[in-house]
Amino acid sequence: MVLTESPGRLGARPLEDWNAAYAKVESYFCALRVRNKLLLGRLVAQVLERAMARAEQEPARSATELAMEEMDRLVSEWFALVLQDQTAGAEVLSTRGRLALLLADLSGKWQDQFLRPGPWPPEFVSVMRETYLRAGPDFQISQMAPRPLDLGAIAALTKIGRLPYARMAATWLLFAGLLVLLFILTHH
Amino acid sequence: MDPAATSPSSRPPGPALYALRTIRRGWRVFIFYSSAVVLTGLVSMLFADLIWRSGWSTSGFCLMGLFVILFLLTAIGCMHAVYGFAARLFGGDIGITRMEDYQAKSLEGISTALIFPIYNEEIVRVYEGLRATFQSLEQTGQLERFDFFILSDSTDPDKWIEEERGWFELIRELDALGRIYYRRRAVNEARKSGNVRDFLNSWGRRYRYFMVFDADSVMRGETVVDLVKLMEAHPETGLIQTVPALAEAESLFGRIQQFANRLYAPVFIAGLNFWSKGFGNYWGHNAIIRTEAFMQCCDLPQLPGRKPFGGQILSHDFVEAALLLKEHWQVWFACELEGSYEEAPQTMIDNAARDRRWCQGNLQHAMVILAKGLRGVSRIHLALGILGYLASPLWLLFLVTFVWMLWYKQHTGLSDIMVHNFTPFLHLSGSEHAFLIFVICMAVLFLPKILALVDLALDPPRRRAFGGLAHATAGAVAETAFSALHAPILMLWHSQFVAAALFGADTAWEPQKRTAAGTGWAESARRLGVHTLIGLVWGAAVWRLDRRTFWWFAPVVAGIVLSIPLSVLTSRAVWGGRARDLGLFLTPEETGPPPELAGLRARMAALRQAGKTAPGPRDAGLAAAILDPYVNALHASLLRENRLNPVYARVLAQMGVGGPEVPLLRERLLAEGPEKFERREKLLILSDAESLPWLHRQVWLRPAGTLAPWWQAAVRKYAH
Repeated sequence: MVLTESPGRLGARPLEDWNAAYAKVESYFCALRVRNKLLLGRLVAQVLERAMARAEQEPARSATELAMEEMDRLVSEWFALVLQDQTAGAEVLSTRGRLALLLADLSGKWQDQFLRPGPWPPEFVSVMRETYLRAGPDFQISQMAPRPLDLGAIAALTKIGRLPYARMAATWLLFAGLLVLLFILTHH
Repeated sequence: MDPAATSPSSRPPGPALYALRTIRRGWRVFIFYSSAVVLTGLVSMLFADLIWRSGWSTSGFCLMGLFVILFLLTAIGCMHAVYGFAARLFGGDIGITRMEDYQAKSLEGISTALIFPIYNEEIVRVYEGLRATFQSLEQTGQLERFDFFILSDSTDPDKWIEEERGWFELIRELDALGRIYYRRRAVNEARKSGNVRDFLNSWGRRYRYFMVFDADSVMRGETVVDLVKLMEAHPETGLIQTVPALAEAESLFGRIQQFANRLYAPVFIAGLNFWSKGFGNYWGHNAIIRTEAFMQCCDLPQLPGRKPFGGQILSHDFVEAALLLKEHWQVWFACELEGSYEEAPQTMIDNAARDRRWCQGNLQHAMVILAKGLRGVSRIHLALGILGYLASPLWLLFLVTFVWMLWYKQHTGLSDIMVHNFTPFLHLSGSEHAFLIFVICMAVLFLPKILALVDLALDPPRRRAFGGLAHATAGAVAETAFSALHAPILMLWHSQFVAAALFGADTAWEPQKRTAAGTGWAESARRLGVHTLIGLVWGAAVWRLDRRTFWWFAPVVAGIVLSIPLSVLTSRAVWGGRARDLGLFLTPEETGPPPELAGLRARMAALRQAGKTAPGPRDAGLAAAILDPYVNALHASLLRENRLNPVYARVLAQMGVGGPEVPLLRERLLAEGPEKFERREKLLILSDAESLPWLHRQVWLRPAGTLAPWWQAAVRKYAH
């Protein structure tokens, strides 16, 4: 751990900045369901140590920014080692690694292995590398095609509706019908 | 699961066998409907005679026509109960389960998919229902023959993410990875029927059978296995529909509906089975379907013309059954099979909302009813579905015509000159004559209820399951009183729905509310205020015209006038509970819950207590999909898997996924937060497999000052 160079400062930044950095890194590990407080503290310290090593050379960047970058780098490097995948891009590797952690049940069983250098227990390595998520079986694509259905007389009626002024004529007929009905009802 | 769709046994029967069965069934249809027609004819003669006695008029003629139609519908309902009661009493080969010993059939090599099409549902309940079915099936030892599919059509971004999270938790808890699958369509074309078709086009060929579940369906494992065995025993059968028992109701309204369903349905369904036999119908869920037959026959055509009658077929189930029958496949009701459940709307207003959707769908069947090649029985099923809703405006018209005749008599000052009726040996006065017709109508209306009670009395185990005959009878009386008040409200609602459909108003496709939270007074007044006003005006008018007649109208008017308090009070779970304490409306699933329902109930109660059924805050799903490392990875992974299907990949591209709009939206999302985003924009972001991991890193890595305050607040929620 880097020692303070002046009272109230650490890595050329106020202690408050590192407090904020600590909180954000811790939040991310909490989001990864690292629940053991001892492990959590150690992991955050490990990240902040790497950030502080860069702090002197990059005075324009905030402590939080540096810490989160280091956290991202540390996690990605670890994913590459555990998954034995050095070629994937950062986002693909990160997604694959997080999914592997989810499937391996990091929070329930393997918290102590997270970000730890190898060798790891074979069972952990196996579950990380070989378990994969299947949301569905292999597609077996086919195409249902509607059979023609002759609607009979109804089809002819739907065509009447397409004639010009059909709706207007229908409205007038309806009106005439109502008048006839009214007349009949009032003249019996 | 092994591909096993094309079985040599999957073929329709030969023409000779088919013709033989047609004749036998034809006689049944003839006898059954002739009974209804004869009864209608006799009572209509009495009614015509009554009108004739006071002088024929145009309005009298209208009244007569309406009476014939309405009485015929009532008589058909009554005949279902009469024939069903007789069939249950005397036994016989009324059901598919009694035709052949199917229990010895093996499930070896048979693959069946259980599909759950969902649309913005209360996901906790859906998954708990699925869990109950899964665990029940597990206990049969046949689980490996079945795959479960959650087929989402949800358009709410938060629901989408909640579904994925819930799915993963479910497969982890049940150790069901590779057994329970999840798929969401990017565009929900053709609604539920399109959802099912999409499943069939993607995976249908892997499964010999598939079973459709509703969002609130639960089925006993043994029942699921029995259905597959029945399909194996009857290779000429394309579809078997179970008769789902309503269960899990808490509100008074829900419990009344549930009680009526459980008490009356057995005799009605037995009657339906009597005449339809292998020419039954499909109700859209809790049914097993032969995949090959369905894929060959049931891709629905678009109807010509504009909405609401043209376009896609809304109530697809009836039409799909008709199309299967058209191609000589059989469709059965498995009325003897227990262990099939669903839930009903908990309030009168939710019930009406569901009716509105069904109304438009059923009326649309008028476009199909004359289609060439359909079986006559299919036309009957379609016609009964249409008339089920048309009956309401006809009943309204009947009452209005009657009041008109009353007004006309008062207005003209003409008095009735009663002449002898054509049945002089009856020696009836005009009033007695009218009363006789009224008594017959009431008898036809109430006979099914009485027969259902007698049927219950003859079955001791079932009688005990209803809390004893006294409790069941009290429940039936109370249910009848409630129905008398509810029926006029439904009459006005259905008339409104029919009119809206005929004048071209389309039906919004809103998910059904399936809780017993209850209806508020303001909501009820908004929905039923006009009804109440109509009831008051109508009642006052009849009172003014003729006070003696008013009392005949009183039940109709009372239901309408009291509709607001009735809808509010019956929506409350507390009243449902009190009725239960009094032993009213008890059902077998309440007095002796089957394990699958008992487990579901206990888990739902625990989840409710833990606050896990309450909806999350707005955009909670979007926030989780971007911020939560696991939800983000899960979502992105599912999106990538979806893209392997060329159809989905094409649809996503059409939506704009991977297009130039996406990077701009991503930046805007980070800078502004999701509050000002439209649903389409959120869905576009959430559909882009590349954007999600990118956004995840950016939100966590970027300095807080460059992000919208919304994101800063969202990140803080993950703090230790």
